[in-house]
Amino acid sequence: MSNRSWTRRDLIKLMAAAPSLLLIVWGPSSSRGQDESDYDAHAHHWGYAVDTTRCIGCGNCMRACRAENDVPEGFYRTWVERYRVGIDGETHVDVADSKTLIFAELSGEISKAFFVPKLCNHCEKSVCTQVCPVGASFQTPDGVVLVDEKHCIGCGYCVQACPYGSRFIDPHTHTAGKCTLCYHRITKGEEPACVAMCPMGARIFGDLNDPRSKLATILRQNRYRVLRPEMGTHPKCYYQGLDREVV
Amino acid sequence: MNNHEKAGNGATQKTSYRHTFRLAVLIIIFILAALLVRQILVPEAFGLEGSYRAAAVNEAREFPIRHIGEKACIECHDDIASLHDKDAHAAVPCESCHGPGSDHAQAEGDVAIRIPEGKEPCLACHRLLDARPSAFPQIRWREHYKFVGVEDTALDCIRCHSPHEPLFMDRDIRSARLHPLIHRCQDCHTERFDRESRRPDDHPAIFECSYCHKGIVEDFSQRAHSKVQCSTCHMFFKESDFAGRIIRDSDPRFCLLCHREADFRSSDAPPGIEWPGHLEDVAMEPGDREKRCVDCHQQRIHKIMERSESDE
Repeated sequence: MSNRSWTRRDLIKLMAAAPSLLLIVWGPSSSRGQDESDYDAHAHHWGYAVDTTRCIGCGNCMRACRAENDVPEGFYRTWVERYRVGIDGETHVDVADSKTLIFAELSGEISKAFFVPKLCNHCEKSVCTQVCPVGASFQTPDGVVLVDEKHCIGCGYCVQACPYGSRFIDPHTHTAGKCTLCYHRITKGEEPACVAMCPMGARIFGDLNDPRSKLATILRQNRYRVLRPEMGTHPKCYYQGLDREVV
Repeated sequence: MNNHEKAGNGATQKTSYRHTFRLAVLIIIFILAALLVRQILVPEAFGLEGSYRAAAVNEAREFPIRHIGEKACIECHDDIASLHDKDAHAAVPCESCHGPGSDHAQAEGDVAIRIPEGKEPCLACHRLLDARPSAFPQIRWREHYKFVGVEDTALDCIRCHSPHEPLFMDRDIRSARLHPLIHRCQDCHTERFDRESRRPDDHPAIFECSYCHKGIVEDFSQRAHSKVQCSTCHMFFKESDFAGRIIRDSDPRFCLLCHREADFRSSDAPPGIEWPGHLEDVAMEPGDREKRCVDCHQQRIHKIMERSESDE
């Protein structure tokens, strides 16, 4: 009996060990997530800047985004807001026509008016990725907040959580839609479509890791702010020339 | 009770093992089932980089690029690009008016690119809006048409303004004369972020018109147009750091930009004339309609350069 190894204790030990042994055998070993090309996601940290004083509200960015990313009409991955402060001091915000994405002339006595381009802020501490119940919303190693369309269940938690209104539920895919910073472009050395198509240079894209990049340079040399810093989201979309009417 | 105990005591070792073993099997089955369910529910490559499907990053990269950029356009359309890159629309990317060009380029032109039609594509940028920065050129098109005397409101902007070289009123820049001149500081130093500093001795020379055309400039300053800049009429177009082209636009519409009689003109505006009634007033033949203003009014502007003088 003393030679008999199968005691109750042994069994419990075995049962404790079994799952980990199985995990080693079954664990996620197939298809590593890394790609075969030479793009190293860990080497970059993408950021964005908007010089609102340059924006003329032409809508090229919105049209480019729609064409580049198949964004359905009436939904926006990036959009331009027109702020108009009346002589009565009241602030009115509107967006361009949803079909043509062109701003129309409006009547009314205005004391101040300006355009503010907006998009996903790709927050360092993004709320939207934290609330996702299935891990379909995530931040890539290079700092871009993406949605895994194949995994998203379309619950809309992230849409509600985003303090910037940057997300929507795509009516065709029924998954969350948002700005990807044109991930398919930036990982191949191109700028996001909205940046490339801006005729005024109001949108600036670059690598925050590279101190010699255009983005890092202008952030160093100018005074930039972020939207709603009190939310603690640490946005990576920096704004120049924001008026106090813009929250 | 007693019987049961006795029976139990008789097979103590055997039964205690069996029920432990049964429990173990159950637990293992439960664990296996849980792992199986996990295997089915948790997608492949989940959790490699963080709590997300690592393969989703690559899938996001696989999306096709549609705005292919100016370089691809220039491969076939270098003639248009050479004009476009020197005019006011130089910073406007081809695809911002023509739409994404990937299909067009891949089919080597067999898939048509979008040709913008109507006024709206121009007005998207140039419509006068409260929010639009004042330094940016913008118009109320109805007033503009009235001002330049275009009666047909269905006419598109591009009938007068070539979209690729909008400053030149549909004139072919290649026919203009090459002219050695550099404009004012801000003509080159416009880019706010252009911080590439030149060494001062690399800086190209800055000319005043009077350096070469002293006689004309002096003569001009005595006359009615003296407050008008040379470049208002002789539009200058920079071709390199050292040379440019001077455009002399003598279409009547050009003079009429300032001189057309209209009820919305302010009182201190330049003298207005009725057009084309003016031609009848001075008893011109109907065929003379194409005659240029300067054909009669040259002396009011400045004396005419002799050919030899201009070639200096």
